[in-house]
Amino acid sequence: MTRVTVDIDLNRVEGDLEFQLDLEDGVVVDARCVGTLYRGFEQIMIGRAPRDSLVITPRVCGICGTAHLYAATLALEQIAHITPPAHAVLVRNLCLMAETLQSDLRQSFLFFTPDFCNPLYAGHPLAAELAEAFAPLKGSVVRGCLKSTRELIGIVAIFGGQWPHSTYMLPGGITQPANARRLIDTRDILASVRAWFEQAVIGGDLDEWLALDSAEGLFRWLAASPARQRSALGLFNRFGRDIGLHKLGAGTGHLLSYGVNHRPDGAGSELPAGFFNADTQQVEPLDHLQINEHVRHSWFLDYPGGRHPWAGETIPDHQPGSDRYTWAKAPRYGDKVVQTGPLAELRIAGEPLITDLLASEGDNTWLRQFARLRRAGWLLNATVNTKKQLKMKCDEPHFIDPKIDVWPDGESVGLVEAARGGLGHWLRIKDGLIDKYQIVTPTAWNASPRDSAGRHGHWEQSIIGLTVPDPENPVEIGHIVRSHDPCLVCTVHFIGSHKKTHFNV
Amino acid sequence: MPNIVWMQAGACSGESMALLCADRPSLENLLQQYDLNLLWHPSLTADARFGQVLEAITSGRQKLDILCIEGSLMTGPDGSGQYDTWKGRAKIDIVRELAPLATHVVAMGTCAAFGGVHAAGPNPTDCTGLQFLKDQPGGLLGADWRARSGQPVINVAGCPAHPNTMTKVLAMLAEGEMLQLDTLNRPAAFFASLVHQGCTRNEYHEYDIEDEVLGGRGCMFFSLGCRGPQTLAPCNTELWNGHSSKTRAGVPCFGCTSPDFPSNRDLFVTPKIGAVPKFLPLGVARAKYMAYKNLARAAAPERVINREMEP
Repeated sequence: MTRVTVDIDLNRVEGDLEFQLDLEDGVVVDARCVGTLYRGFEQIMIGRAPRDSLVITPRVCGICGTAHLYAATLALEQIAHITPPAHAVLVRNLCLMAETLQSDLRQSFLFFTPDFCNPLYAGHPLAAELAEAFAPLKGSVVRGCLKSTRELIGIVAIFGGQWPHSTYMLPGGITQPANARRLIDTRDILASVRAWFEQAVIGGDLDEWLALDSAEGLFRWLAASPARQRSALGLFNRFGRDIGLHKLGAGTGHLLSYGVNHRPDGAGSELPAGFFNADTQQVEPLDHLQINEHVRHSWFLDYPGGRHPWAGETIPDHQPGSDRYTWAKAPRYGDKVVQTGPLAELRIAGEPLITDLLASEGDNTWLRQFARLRRAGWLLNATVNTKKQLKMKCDEPHFIDPKIDVWPDGESVGLVEAARGGLGHWLRIKDGLIDKYQIVTPTAWNASPRDSAGRHGHWEQSIIGLTVPDPENPVEIGHIVRSHDPCLVCTVHFIGSHKKTHFNV
Repeated sequence: MPNIVWMQAGACSGESMALLCADRPSLENLLQQYDLNLLWHPSLTADARFGQVLEAITSGRQKLDILCIEGSLMTGPDGSGQYDTWKGRAKIDIVRELAPLATHVVAMGTCAAFGGVHAAGPNPTDCTGLQFLKDQPGGLLGADWRARSGQPVINVAGCPAHPNTMTKVLAMLAEGEMLQLDTLNRPAAFFASLVHQGCTRNEYHEYDIEDEVLGGRGCMFFSLGCRGPQTLAPCNTELWNGHSSKTRAGVPCFGCTSPDFPSNRDLFVTPKIGAVPKFLPLGVARAKYMAYKNLARAAAPERVINREMEP
């Protein structure tokens, strides 16, 4: 038996991702997900005016800046007991959904499916079809995706001025109202993206596809027409299952979602927040006080167990060569390792098809990626519905001045569902200024290292046990890791101590 | 066929995402029409691993025509660069190795140009731009550094850089044009207009009708921190995502193409001397500006005073 350790770096994720794998006779016996970048946002935030978080924190992430802006706004509104008008909530939701949808489509066809064109698969019967559809920057689906996502993200620019990195949400509402011109532009964009999605991605009618409620029904529907077989989804299904992606890369079964589409009246969200406990197979209500972060295997000064973000402590302690291996912390829900993202979102909401697939095949690489396309379809309808509701609210205020001269001292949290899953901003204000700001990103959950009890993070779990025939071309790892939709730039923590503090991957 | 390498240092991927938003020309059209070969992009390429690309260039087997850098250059802790690494190697060392081999080096975004958001006080990562730290010449490569073309690093500033500015700059370089640069080494073709030019709130500014609270229709320069009249950037002469700009949408310009972005003061408040902003529109004399504003206000029509005009 030979044991070797290999370092693997992966692109076509957001940011830099490295894994250290221990292989015994080609089988992964241990995996360490390594965070390689520290950006120091937390120290930059301390002592700043509270509203500056609306400008600074979207810059944590170029791909989900709208989600960060939304979370930062909610944290400020909670601390000062501000209720935004319905008009503003609908615009915020519409923009966040547009951002999530562009991310799902770009992740699928710019990051995930290029692996189907790997030289390893050159002899596969579908190779020519795959190349025609998915060749990087050239394939027909890729070109369509570039065009459609460019149009789609224009919705954020219509309401917020630009994407990435605008600051059009603020405590009390939004900077600019919806009106007939903006809504007609939005409708036109959504119609055009839907037409492309139906033609190129699913090869059929969207509503018909969304109505499918069982695995069997899905496979039957896909097989029933050549257009569906040839579509991106058809190819993903035929090829992905042929190479066994549905049997590959199971991680943790526990799922976490903060809920999609906050209702304008403040009563929950359209897709509910919750925690799916894999041990009991039950969805439990979300309780953010269950969230805690560990540092036992991270390059931080140790503390026992985990700490809630409001009580977190993060003092860098770089120890190369020890059993610590990353600048990322390990968030846990209670003592549970969780995954977050579209699969969690849809399962917690009880979406029938995803629920059936998860029950019959368990967590796997194919399902995580399929859930992303499924959510994209759901979002295409949800955006249209939100736009319709917005049309009824155009004459109502888009902003109510909260008239705050000095921000109240206190602690608060803003939770939203970003493209990659649950995103939380924890804020503390003291003497009218930011005293502490901590972010736990979706990828922080998914990419977490081991915790103080030695439990591996979700990605690590999904790779341990895998056979890697060729560490020089670890295409299996590419499939698994990219199905998690990694965003490493975003996995940043903020901490409120005045010490040299916290690192990110 | 000119080769491009796009490398991320301490970045949020904002420029990479903005690049995908470019529409005149789009990224895919740029590559096709100008016969450019994207050897490496962290989000987009699939043919080679980074180590292979690096080896091919440093060994001289592959020429490097355009090196694009996205993100701040992290020099900490203690000059080691270990805050940002690739396989244990400091990214700043990789940039130092690649830059002299490139015909052109382009800083994509304010982080790579001037340090950007990560260099905001207290600059916890000791980060810098390629040839500037904020407005001070120097940076990672030094003020006198020149690419093989003879030009310094071309600073396509912005947070993020404007999508079409990035693709147009690459198009100009592909055509062999020598770009005119301003004193901050930003390409003059894109940084010779103010954000104020083309802002749809101009009429409010013209008649001195200023908003005190966000969410309104008026001008945001006097009270809400807008730096449009001081900031050189193409945002209102070439719209974002084909639609709009921050100031048009009621978001103050935070001056993100400037070396001091983000400033250390409250970003939503305009510092004033008396009733007039401390920092005036670019190049304007205070006494004359005050006289003009007094007259302007007196001339304001009711439709502007009543904010009937939609931006």
